[in-house]
Amino acid sequence: MRFRCRTAVGLAALLALGACQRGAPPATAKPRVALVLKTLNSPFFIDMQKGATAAAEKQGLDLVVQAAEREVDVDKQMQIIENLVQTGVKALLVTPSGSREVVPAIAKANAAGIPVVILDTKVDPAAAAEAGIKTVTFVGSDNLEGGRLAGQQMVQVTGGRAKVAVLEGIPGHETGDSRLKGFKEAIAKSPGIAIVASQPANWERDLGFNVFQNMLQAHPEIDAVFACNDMMALGAVEAIAVAGKLGRIKVIGFDAVDDARKAIASGAMVASVAQFPGEMGRVAVESAARILKNETVPDDQRVRIELVTAATLAPPAAGAARP
Amino acid sequence: MSLASLKRQGRELGTLGGLLALGLLLTALTPHFLTVSNLLNVMEQTSINAVIAVGMTFVILSGGIDLSVGSLVALSGVVMASALHAGAPIPVALLAGLLTGAFCGLVNGSLVTLGRLPPFIATLGMMSVARGAALLFTDGRPVSGFDASFRSLATGRVLLVPVPVLITLAVYAVAHLVLTRTRFGRYVYAIGGNEEASRLSGVPVRFHKTMVYALSGLVSGLAAAVLTARLNSAQPIAGMMYELDAIAATVIGGTSLLGGQGRVSGTLIGALIMGVLRNGLNLLGISSFLQQVVIGLVIVGAVLFDSLLKTGERR
Repeated sequence: MRFRCRTAVGLAALLALGACQRGAPPATAKPRVALVLKTLNSPFFIDMQKGATAAAEKQGLDLVVQAAEREVDVDKQMQIIENLVQTGVKALLVTPSGSREVVPAIAKANAAGIPVVILDTKVDPAAAAEAGIKTVTFVGSDNLEGGRLAGQQMVQVTGGRAKVAVLEGIPGHETGDSRLKGFKEAIAKSPGIAIVASQPANWERDLGFNVFQNMLQAHPEIDAVFACNDMMALGAVEAIAVAGKLGRIKVIGFDAVDDARKAIASGAMVASVAQFPGEMGRVAVESAARILKNETVPDDQRVRIELVTAATLAPPAAGAARP
Repeated sequence: MSLASLKRQGRELGTLGGLLALGLLLTALTPHFLTVSNLLNVMEQTSINAVIAVGMTFVILSGGIDLSVGSLVALSGVVMASALHAGAPIPVALLAGLLTGAFCGLVNGSLVTLGRLPPFIATLGMMSVARGAALLFTDGRPVSGFDASFRSLATGRVLLVPVPVLITLAVYAVAHLVLTRTRFGRYVYAIGGNEEASRLSGVPVRFHKTMVYALSGLVSGLAAAVLTARLNSAQPIAGMMYELDAIAATVIGGTSLLGGQGRVSGTLIGALIMGVLRNGLNLLGISSFLQQVVIGLVIVGAVLFDSLLKTGERR
């Protein structure tokens, strides 16, 4: 009795899903390629998925997209990669949840002879060398250069004199570390710019709010913010609004998400560095297609980045040439 | 064989039947499921949750709950990893990690028994304290890169079987013996069944309850060792929400959240059902969002049928 009931639940749920799934795979003899994202609950990765899906259609590839529930869950990402390796996908495209932690999973793909393309976040070179893993290509933004763009903009908007607060990403993430490094390089030439506080706010909006509010308590003289992503920048903007200093504290973010673009247009933020995740998805899938045709691909492919300010936001609204 | 034990067997067979049916279904749906390499892969992936869930089963059997296990995985992991980086021999580092988990568990237990805190509150506090301690200890950064001998805890194979699977089986064998053959085990059931009656009949309730939480901390430390070796890295943010997976495995396996009823073998099957489901949904290429829906439905479904059957029995 119990047996039947329990089984029924599992069967019903899975059969329903199995039925939903049935349509796609048998109809196609297209080579199957997998894209493993950090998560699917952020606009950045959804854009990346869209770019990849569109490219896969053009290239005649069957693209499976999988992601862990939470961006920080490195073990879940490893499980997904292990499971996909079992299905014998022809190529694996991965946005590593952890630069070092992804290495054992890539080693398993290597052992199964599946070519690996890395997107967005680089694999730690030392860990990769130690494990002897091979990836075919890296597709991503040049975060160091993006950080420099942000730093140069900081120098420009503050006239070379500022007390800066920095909101960092999750410690140990290559992306955040590179952005901050580029930013520091760019402001190093301006002795009038000093970083008075620098703390991680884990990429999150609400943490950005709290951390910046606390920084402002300790350092009321802060008159500029560099946040390693827009979510934290937008959190800081809210805290600045609460403190009644909107417009007086210059905020620069990273990613140029829609909310940040609105904040820049309204003057609450001065700039953000735009990445093009859709482009990354497209380039990665095209690379996979070339790998399957035994063509060579460059081992490092950088997708364009650009600074978004109130000035650059105006032209597209005026109907300028932008795709 | 008594009626009660027959019923227990039935419950267990039911869970096992669910797992087998799931396996049959996946075998029918995809050629990639029923292969030796995939089955070993699933068992290896399940091992971390399964080991944590053993401790959770003891705690839940005693009528409590342990929300701190995920954070203890992180804290034990970074302690162990830092010890290794400081040059400690592997057994010493392992011991340091295990003792960290056990000590925090002991604190949980003492807060519950001596402090008379509800287990939910005591372990909720520990969940936050241990997470914060792990972050403080490492400055928020992962501690990574270990030599091959430590990593063999996860990467090693004995006659094709991955070491984490062997560790899991050993833990379950010991836990099963402890629960069924020792006084400690009988007391855990007794306390979970009726704490007041146990106390009145002379069971040292406080001592045994405290030990149950220490045990849960200890196996969390063991899970941390496997996880750290598997990822070649100990993250202070590791193990988030693992407590919920462990609770899910325990209840799918038929242990009553009210305490006093359940077996570790059920928990092992419960953990395997979750692992096989996730694996199968990945193999089928089903959307990640739908996967969460399915796993949630299975948890609720399993317990719902249990409770419906119990209502049926009472009539």
